[in-house]
Amino acid sequence: MLGKLALRNVRRQVGNYLIYFMTVSLTVALLFAVSNVIFSENLMRYLETNEAAKGTLVGAVVLISLIVAFVLSYATSFMLKLRKREFGTYLTLGMTRREILGIFLAEHALIGLLALIAGLAAGLLIYQGLTALIMRLLELRFALAAYAPAGLALTVGLVAGIFLLASLTSAIYLKRIRIYELLHGEVYPRTVRHPVLWFLVTAGSLALILGGLSYMGMEAERVVTSRLSQAEFGWIALGIAVSVILFHVGLSRSVIHLLLKQKRLCSRGSNIFVLRALSGTLGSNSLMLGCLAFLLAAAVTGANISFVQKVSQEAELDRNFPYDILYRENPNFPSGITLQQGEKVIQRYGQIAHRCLYELYTSNESTFYERTPWRSYTGLTDSFMKLSDFNGLIVPLGYEQVELAEEYLVVSNVPEAGLSSWDGLVFRHGGRSYTMREARGDYPVFCYQYFYVVVPDEVTEDMEREAGFGVYDLREGPLDVLALKKDLSYLEPDGYRDREDAVELCDYSLREYGRQEQNSTSAILVVAALFTAAVFLFLAMAVLALKILSGLEEDRRRYRSLFRLGAGEREQSRALFLQTFGFFLFPIVMPLLLGIPVAWIGQRIVKAARMEALAGQIPVIAGVIALVMALVYLLYYVAAFWVARRTVVRG
Amino acid sequence: MKELLKISHVTKYYGGRAVVTKALDGVSLSVEQREFTAVMGPSGSGKSTLLNVVSTIDQVSSGEIWVEGENISRMKENALAAFRRDRLGFIFQDYNLLDTLTVEENILLPLNLRRESFQSSQEKLHRMTRAFGLSDELKKFPAELSGGQKQRAACARAIITDPALILADEPTGALDSGNARGLMQTLDMMNQKLGSTILMVTHDPVAASYAGRVLFLKDGKIWCEILRGERSRQELHREILAATVALGGDADVR
Repeated sequence: MLGKLALRNVRRQVGNYLIYFMTVSLTVALLFAVSNVIFSENLMRYLETNEAAKGTLVGAVVLISLIVAFVLSYATSFMLKLRKREFGTYLTLGMTRREILGIFLAEHALIGLLALIAGLAAGLLIYQGLTALIMRLLELRFALAAYAPAGLALTVGLVAGIFLLASLTSAIYLKRIRIYELLHGEVYPRTVRHPVLWFLVTAGSLALILGGLSYMGMEAERVVTSRLSQAEFGWIALGIAVSVILFHVGLSRSVIHLLLKQKRLCSRGSNIFVLRALSGTLGSNSLMLGCLAFLLAAAVTGANISFVQKVSQEAELDRNFPYDILYRENPNFPSGITLQQGEKVIQRYGQIAHRCLYELYTSNESTFYERTPWRSYTGLTDSFMKLSDFNGLIVPLGYEQVELAEEYLVVSNVPEAGLSSWDGLVFRHGGRSYTMREARGDYPVFCYQYFYVVVPDEVTEDMEREAGFGVYDLREGPLDVLALKKDLSYLEPDGYRDREDAVELCDYSLREYGRQEQNSTSAILVVAALFTAAVFLFLAMAVLALKILSGLEEDRRRYRSLFRLGAGEREQSRALFLQTFGFFLFPIVMPLLLGIPVAWIGQRIVKAARMEALAGQIPVIAGVIALVMALVYLLYYVAAFWVARRTVVRG
Repeated sequence: MKELLKISHVTKYYGGRAVVTKALDGVSLSVEQREFTAVMGPSGSGKSTLLNVVSTIDQVSSGEIWVEGENISRMKENALAAFRRDRLGFIFQDYNLLDTLTVEENILLPLNLRRESFQSSQEKLHRMTRAFGLSDELKKFPAELSGGQKQRAACARAIITDPALILADEPTGALDSGNARGLMQTLDMMNQKLGSTILMVTHDPVAASYAGRVLFLKDGKIWCEILRGERSRQELHREILAATVALGGDADVR
């Protein structure tokens, strides 16, 4: 009997269940796709050495699963509330709460099963799309990806877990709610307590958010130089996250209440009707809105960071690998592959188009190191490069030739070098004095010292040779960089430092190899961040739409009253628009605006990382992300408003 | 007195194709200014349909309805909304108060919809709350009021725009006898002192006995009409009961 009733209810409530069904199906599809990615053998084999990328992916799946579980339980409780009058009637007819819960859960099991099947079908396609995107970013050839049984098991397990969680939430709701509330809707007044206190919470949270972001922006250099510890960074981020939630909780409990005190504003048209409706929905959903705002803020920030990371990758590559191959003689391991041997190997893979050999010299003193943050390190001595060698390296790259007259130039690729102070340091050598021309951090990497000093050639004449280097550019053509890397590597049989096992070493830095390595990390980061952002955005929109739709029965009653009082179709539509748009817009305004300080911090960070050229691109990226998110959000809102308007507004 | 409402040969059909119900069958009547008219009749006689077409919530199938010389059966939707807002006041059995708004906000809402100035709205609000004894209830929500208080708030809201016609649909239907009497005294006061024209649909002979004229509907037609004239309310009540019995109705005697 109950089963028949449940089946009939599902058929009868198809319209009501449609959005819920779509939400669950799409969520299942997204979960299935991403769990297949983490169980994909091919991809994992490729990422075998990239722990960061693997960790990012697994972290994204866990996070998405948790959020999905929370949101779907919430969505289920919305569906329960949508039909509370019907359940109230069942109760008055003598049905027990347990039986009603049974009907409701049977309906949801049926819908859940259908959504699972539909979601898995859609997930098959999304997975292929996702794999194609990752492959493209990794610059690998696309091939149809195999499905992982473990991915299927994880998805089904998660959906079952979510169903149980939703059942529990529904059971608690049905156990607690009074029959009167089921039959007559929620009992008003739902007055907000201590609105002024909540306003202070809002203001305080805003101050904390702005303070935290300003601090991060101002300390951009410390972020780059890793002097802002991970713990400190984590605390600030956590503080901002909590503040975002509190800001929205406080605002939803205070702002409308404060607006309601503006009698003149309230006395215009249907303003009071709209404000009271908003006060009810915002006040009773404040925590949920806070959490959604946090998710959306995470989506905006994550998307920004991933894109900035992606565009900075190219610039970083040019800086770290100015030539195709860079050789550094390793005096610790004389058994390594020498320059002559290496050149022969390289020539097997490609023709050498440009070659430049150079050396570093040492004075065996620490005059320059004394002025740096590394002065406490033992055994570090100053390194010098001949001006002619330096010009031989930079001029082919398009840099202006450097000329030094009784001067020296300090070059560093490490941001901490900015904390050094060589101003006024007069370097005396061979009876001559050299003054500082400048300290530069924008030249590419030619050696791996914290810094080196470029001096007129004669200075190095009586210095000890520290290490030899060579850079090569190859003629363009296909290059099997993995094989070349392998051929240029050697095993150090005696172990390295305190390690006993043999270590594979390579004294040749290959640009193409570095590019592929960076690519795999940034590809995973971009995909994970965008995927997470899409899931968060979609779920936030679904929850808000469900919330609006679940209140339509009560809204219809209220708008009928408004209609009887003489509010025309236009006035009703305006009121409904303000009421629903205000609610829908509430959690996304701040996340979108957060794009501004996030872009500002990004600019400061890339500037601190000596990549000034990128700074101009960051606001554009932030703007595009905000625009895309706002458009998607708006489209979803328009659909929800259209449904609501058809149901509520009387002409 | 001037004619305020004129209903001319109004017919209303419900349903379509297989089953058609004739709810109003060529009803014609006229209500003058400051008149208090009650419409009675058994269930299905067409009382509520009559009220719905007069209030423009429903449309007539044929015939015409004139309010203050204006034909409302041919008005466009926007004009009808403005008509309801400016010329009609409603009192419903379920009060029709918005549960999200306080009493004060409920009463002021029709004025807000008319974009009436803040100053003028406040003045009218004070007048209404004094007249209906709602001064202590203004900041309360409907859920915090008794049935009688809710209906008084609904009356205050119905009259605050100074409408040409007040339409009451079973206003005592949800009230106990004490509150019902109080409400009818309020409507009487609105009619006598404030000069409101009231058209009330009711099942209740006691409520109908407050009117100056009682119309009986049967099968969508006006069956008979009783005028109070100089008689007392009790005498009118007795006559209403007699007519109800003759109609084969189910009037309860309080």
